[in-house]
Amino acid sequence: MSWTDLGAIAPELTLTVTAFIVLLYDALATGPSLEAPRGRGTVWVSLLGVCVALALNAFPPADPVAFGGMYIRDHLTQVVTLAALLAAGLGVLLSSVYLERFRLPAGEYYALLLFSAVGAILMGASRNLVVLFLGLEILSFPLYTLSAFATRSRRSQEAGLKYLLLGAFATAFFVYGIALMYGATGTLDLLRLAQAPFTPLLGVGIALLTIGLGFEAALVPFHAWAPDVYEGAPMPATAFMSVVAKIGAFGGFLRVFPLALPSLANEWGAVLVAVAIATMIWGNVAALLQTNLKRLLAYSGIAHAGYLLIGIASPGPAGTLGVLYYLVVYTVMNLGAFGVLMLLERRGEEADELEDLAGLSTRAPWAAGILALCMVSLAGLPPTGGFIAKLYLFRAALEGRHTALAIVAVLTSVVSVYYYLRVAVAAFSGTVPDAVAVRRSGMVGVALVLAAAGVLWLGILPSTLTAFVQQAVQALR
Amino acid sequence: MTWGPLSLLVALPLLGAVAVAAIDARAERGLRAVGLAVMLLVFLLAAGIWLRFVPGTPALQFEERAAWVPAAGMTYHLGVDGLSVSLVALVAFLFPIALAASGEQVRDRVKPFVVTLLLLEAGLLGTFLAQDLVLFYVFWEAMLIPMYFLIALWGGPGRGPAAIKFFLYTMAGSVLMLLAIIAVYLQSGHLPGGPTFDLPSLLAHPLGFAGSAETLLFLAFAVAFAIKMPVWPLHTWLPNAYAEAPPVVTVLLAGLMAKAGAYGLLRFCLPLFPEASRAFGPLLSGLAVVGILYGGAIAWAQRDMRRLLAYGSMSHMGFILLGIFALDATAVQGSLIQMINHGVTTGALFIIAGLLLDRTGRARTDEYGGIAALVPALSAVTLIVVMSSLALPATNGFIGEFLILLGTFQARPAAAVVATLGIVVAVAYLLGFVGRVFHGPVREDLRGLSDLRPQEYALFVPLVLVIFWTGLYPQPLLDRSAATVNAVLGRISAAAQRRDAAAVTPPADGAAYRPAAAGPHARGSAGTGR
Repeated sequence: MSWTDLGAIAPELTLTVTAFIVLLYDALATGPSLEAPRGRGTVWVSLLGVCVALALNAFPPADPVAFGGMYIRDHLTQVVTLAALLAAGLGVLLSSVYLERFRLPAGEYYALLLFSAVGAILMGASRNLVVLFLGLEILSFPLYTLSAFATRSRRSQEAGLKYLLLGAFATAFFVYGIALMYGATGTLDLLRLAQAPFTPLLGVGIALLTIGLGFEAALVPFHAWAPDVYEGAPMPATAFMSVVAKIGAFGGFLRVFPLALPSLANEWGAVLVAVAIATMIWGNVAALLQTNLKRLLAYSGIAHAGYLLIGIASPGPAGTLGVLYYLVVYTVMNLGAFGVLMLLERRGEEADELEDLAGLSTRAPWAAGILALCMVSLAGLPPTGGFIAKLYLFRAALEGRHTALAIVAVLTSVVSVYYYLRVAVAAFSGTVPDAVAVRRSGMVGVALVLAAAGVLWLGILPSTLTAFVQQAVQALR
Repeated sequence: MTWGPLSLLVALPLLGAVAVAAIDARAERGLRAVGLAVMLLVFLLAAGIWLRFVPGTPALQFEERAAWVPAAGMTYHLGVDGLSVSLVALVAFLFPIALAASGEQVRDRVKPFVVTLLLLEAGLLGTFLAQDLVLFYVFWEAMLIPMYFLIALWGGPGRGPAAIKFFLYTMAGSVLMLLAIIAVYLQSGHLPGGPTFDLPSLLAHPLGFAGSAETLLFLAFAVAFAIKMPVWPLHTWLPNAYAEAPPVVTVLLAGLMAKAGAYGLLRFCLPLFPEASRAFGPLLSGLAVVGILYGGAIAWAQRDMRRLLAYGSMSHMGFILLGIFALDATAVQGSLIQMINHGVTTGALFIIAGLLLDRTGRARTDEYGGIAALVPALSAVTLIVVMSSLALPATNGFIGEFLILLGTFQARPAAAVVATLGIVVAVAYLLGFVGRVFHGPVREDLRGLSDLRPQEYALFVPLVLVIFWTGLYPQPLLDRSAATVNAVLGRISAAAQRRDAAAVTPPADGAAYRPAAAGPHARGSAGTGR
């Protein structure tokens, strides 16, 4: 390890150091009285850390490969880092008001959130299966804890335990897959894996690895945990988890499949196409039946994992471009949608039912408008980022000659419009239920404005990010 | 690039929407006034563009072009030509009328209503101006969203299901068109300059589709447009949406959105897929005739005022489809004129229905009777509008339907003969409507019905003026569209000649559909290099 190695991981390092500072600051501010500190010091420290990491992310290191070829910080890593940092930054802004209201320990929460973001970044930066595994663990352990974070809520405890048990199971598959791949090829290096001949053992290893990543991404049939965990976890944790787990998992998919195993495209392409089709259909159809907004967004998240998988299943630069663009768009639009829900409260509880949204437009017209915008974007309609992202993925599918996949993808997006617009209409019609209160919060407001601006910017002026992502894709060639 | 009047045309309603959104929601009169002022400004601009449009050339005018997403071959390309210039003016003409007529119908949530209306106007204008396939699709879908909310939030009792049915139907068609758009883009990879979504660049060289690809892509486009028009049998969303939407919104739905479908056929299907357009011409003409008669017959049987007008509107849209797929210059010209007429006439009919509904709350024609004596001015206006809808000479409807039938007689005589029956059916249902509502014994419980108020005269005067102006002096409209229509039809006959020539000497299959080999990234940002 050398100084240049440390320079390469500067954003991750910044987040890690920030997380420790937050923990220490929290401990010192708590003091012997064990009263949770009042102020918002931890929020500002976390935000500062995220901003510094964002700035560092803009300057790629001279030599992208570090740690003896195990780690790479190229354009792809930069895009994954951007998405993870957006998730972390917006996640911190959105959480503050919720944590105060429910008196959850903010310091620990932000530290866990930042650690989790580090894991997601690491997954996108791995050139070695061990680093990928490290990233997966760093990503998911904080998420288990965050799901169970509301210690007084039985739902939250249940969610945490469920996530932990199933997640541990999936991780075991993942590690076993790595072991088999090592046995088959004698290497854990992704570049050398690319040259390895196909053997049945390698195939089994790839399949097990896919299960591990598919669990994190909530692909059908490894999705069963998602609705329960999403529903049970505290809302800000759900919001953050819904995006960061996808960023990590698909960062990993991009490193493993189109880059490391392109020669095996025929072997895994058909399987991934089948999984993508099943995921899109299942996620969207199940979401139709939900009235709980967290569950609805959970199934929507499953469906989006299916769309993202199109980009992995369609080998070639177009697929990679589509996935990277989609990850950034998904981060802002999903957090924007959750952010509006964070403002609502039903008798001291989370207001997460569809009817709780009634009449929102009369009390908080801007929040209702942003919710509608995010729903339109999630449905993949123009002029939002969701449309451009889907356009890129559909192009990848057609370019890869996956016509059936593309047709299923567009038709399931039509299905998805039904439940997304139902949410938007609920916010604009009806009368306000007495039990529901709308909180005002400057921080959530800032996050919502940022998310809405991002959704519109990525939809109307997509050229900047597209050009950047294009560079990432070309650098890989 | 410099911003031209067309960008301003799209931007004005958007800026207006932002301005209205910033006004206090309780200042309802102010909200409406600002909205109306913006729409009138848009109309003045559109009228200026229409007047300064130079007839006699098929080229795009007021063209604006800028790089949008060079890496993905998308351009920001706006322009008007003979197909769109009058339709743009129609959009700008009908919106202020619709907003002004909404005063009585939309009383709550005025602010979001005005904002949504302005967003819809921007979307519609953009649809008619866009010259890039993705840009077009963005506007095409973007106008669906405000329309969905207009029906779902301000509609009648059955608004929820009606709105979602409308949305899902139209979107199901559009998403397949999106795939077709991408396929056209991939197919254009072999063009000089690389793959592009820019329509004029796509049309500059033959795309060379292999085998059934052209047919499939044509169908994907045509179905999307046919649902929007709507063409029988893809019309089942129409009666619910037209009847549940607030009447002023139905004015826009029938008057403008349906035109976007017909326009799409002319703008995209015919030029991009000339062979398939030719092959499917007889089928679509047949569907048009079925639609004319079916819509007319159902309208005849309807007692619900708005459903009657909805089916009547569908029947009239059949004439427009018939004219387009006659693939004859006279008929296509007639279709373009009829698109304007239909917008004005159907718009006026739904405004009338809306006035009656507001005043009495009665939706069915047999709940009225003899109100001509009570509201002479309204009944005079209705008669004029109905005459225009019946295509009586001296009104605009005559010019349109006459040209359509004249052109179709030359190309497809059988279809024209059967379609003529549609005019007879129209007489039956429209005069039935007028007879049941305006004539007969006066219903005592309608004694208090008030006639047109001064501001309502202001709604109808421009509509009636356009009806007679187009009926008596259609030449400016025809002049503007002639060159473009000839150019579009010229592409079709050129394609037919190419095919005949190719039948003699089969070419080497070099231009087949081969996206994976010639991916867009191979050429990087060549998409806008021209």
